Parts: sequence; C-alpha cells; structure tokens
Amino acid sequence: MEPHDHESTHGAHDHPHAEPGASERPGYYDMMETALRELLIERKLVDPAEFRRQIEVLDSRTPALGAKVVARAWVDPAFRERLLANGRAACEECGISSYDETELIVLENTDKVHNLIVCTLCSCYPRPVLGLPPDWYKLKAYRSRAVIEPRTLLAEFGTVIPDSVEVRVSDSTALVRYLVLPKRPEGTEHFTEEELASLVTRDAMIGVIPVTANQGST
Amino acid sequence: MNQSEELLKRLPNDIGGLPAGPFQRIEHELLPWEKRCHALADVLDFHKIINTEEKRRGVEALGGEIVGQLSYYERWLDAFANILFAKGIIAPSDFARKMDEVAARWEDGLPGAPASSTT
Repeated sequence: MEPHDHESTHGAHDHPHAEPGASERPGYYDMMETALRELLIERKLVDPAEFRRQIEVLDSRTPALGAKVVARAWVDPAFRERLLANGRAACEECGISSYDETELIVLENTDKVHNLIVCTLCSCYPRPVLGLPPDWYKLKAYRSRAVIEPRTLLAEFGTVIPDSVEVRVSDSTALVRYLVLPKRPEGTEHFTEEELASLVTRDAMIGVIPVTANQGST
Repeated sequence: MNQSEELLKRLPNDIGGLPAGPFQRIEHELLPWEKRCHALADVLDFHKIINTEEKRRGVEALGGEIVGQLSYYERWLDAFANILFAKGIIAPSDFARKMDEVAARWEDGLPGAPASSTT
C-alpha cells in the first residue's frame, strides 16, 4: 500500500489517517459519515440493511471479474461479439450484475487501435466489473493529460504506442462507462481460460498497459 | 479569449486537456470510513436522493480552495451535507446535534461508534 496521499497535486492536508482502533476517537469526516447516515436512517429514507449490503457489494467487486470477462472474450468469439455489442448484458451473462444504471461499452484493442479510458470530470469508472478506481485515476494529472497527450502519459506507464497505432481516449460519464478489452498476448495459444484470466490486470483494462504472457494479475 | 471568458467556459471539475504536473501512480486502500462513504453515496443514488451528477455538482460548488485541500471522500461528505440541507432533507441544526451525539459516544468511552464497526 502506498503512503496515504490523496491529492498531492492539490496541496497538503495534514490530519492523521491511522486506522481507527476501538479506543481511538474517529476523525471529523468519519463521524460526519456516521451522522449523515444515521439521520437518513432515522428519517426512513435509507435502510441500514441496504447500506450494509452495499458495503458487501463493494467488497465483492474486483478486477478479477473484468479479467474473467476478457479471458472469455478471447476464447469465445461469439461471446466477444455479444460483449462488444452490449457490455452490460454480456457481463450479466457471466454472473456480473450491474448494481447501478450505468451503460457499459467495451472497447477492443487491436493492431490498429489502442483504447484508454478516463473520466475528466471526476471519477466515473466501470465499478461493477473492476471495483473502485485507483487514486491516480481520480487525480488531476491523469484526468487532464489523458485527453490532450495520451501517448506521453502512456509512456509514463511504460507503454509506448507506435505511431502506426491510433490512440482512442474515451471520457466516461455518470451514465456511460467503458472497459478496455486488451489484446491477447502472443504465446498464449495453449492457455486455458483461467490461465488467461490470471494475466489480465486492472491497469490493462483501463488501457494504460498491455497484457503480457509472463505477468500475473496484481 | 480573455481570462473571464475562459473561466465561464469551465467549471472547477472540467479539467480535461488543461496543463497538469507529472503523473504519479498513487494508490491507497480505502479506509473504513471512506468505504462507508462510498456505500452511502451508492444508496443515496439508488434512491435518487442524491444522484451522481448532483454529487459532482455538489463537489464543484465547494469551490476551488476546498476542492484543493480536501481528500476525495471528504469532498463527497461536504457535498452530501450541503445538498441535503439545500433540499430540506436534513436541517443544519439536526446535523449539528447528531455530530455532537456521535462525538459524545467516543468521549463517553463507548467502544466504537456502532456504525464505525461496519467494516
């Protein structure tokens, strides 16, 4: 885990962020979350069970789900077609429900096109299939630069896209989310679907790095 | 285009394409209260009490200085409070009373605010 540093591009905030122990007084915002939630529950506007269930939903969503979808698309051409036609329906076919009203558009990387996703306004992200976004996805440098100098930004991830390949950047919105379908790496012809899924990382599905045959998911 | 025209064209969150510093690959595991804040946001959205666009506008309405100083989920909570006040769903005085009550649970030495143990 990286040191806790939310917004280094926006100046410091200096309050401590230790894990709250049983005897430690929670921070102001920790208490504020509790206060707002309890007031909403008292007014019967939200149900505590629903809130607890959503915590479990958030815990259950990880990039392993997206990796499963990608691997299936690599081995099953008919599924790939359905995934590209309607991301949400194809994910539901794999047992991955959308817990919100967002549309999912899956963007396929090819020898001619490399896709990158961003949310310039804030932090929209394909959460049902990837979980919550990393901090860098929400920070100014990524959001500002992805749409104006994607090749330079990608190079900072170690991803150099040849000039012969078009780079397409898709800007997410509250209602439309994107997922990158990375290229299947060479040398994986004999891999099982599960072995393929283990190669697919979160960052590859954001489009900042490729999938490689010798890399485990992190 | 002069500077005031430029300002009119962009709200604080609309930073796509603006010059920015070097990219840093920052990540952290969500703290328990941050995860609770996210779950609260989702539930508020499900019930259309505060939807995703309202939340974003609520963060923008905090203004550049607050947006710059606060962390991601701190901004969300400030925005939620303001939106709930503005919609008349929660009165500021009720919120102040509840904050005192939550703080008092700790000052009284109770082992953990009930909701804080959710994770």
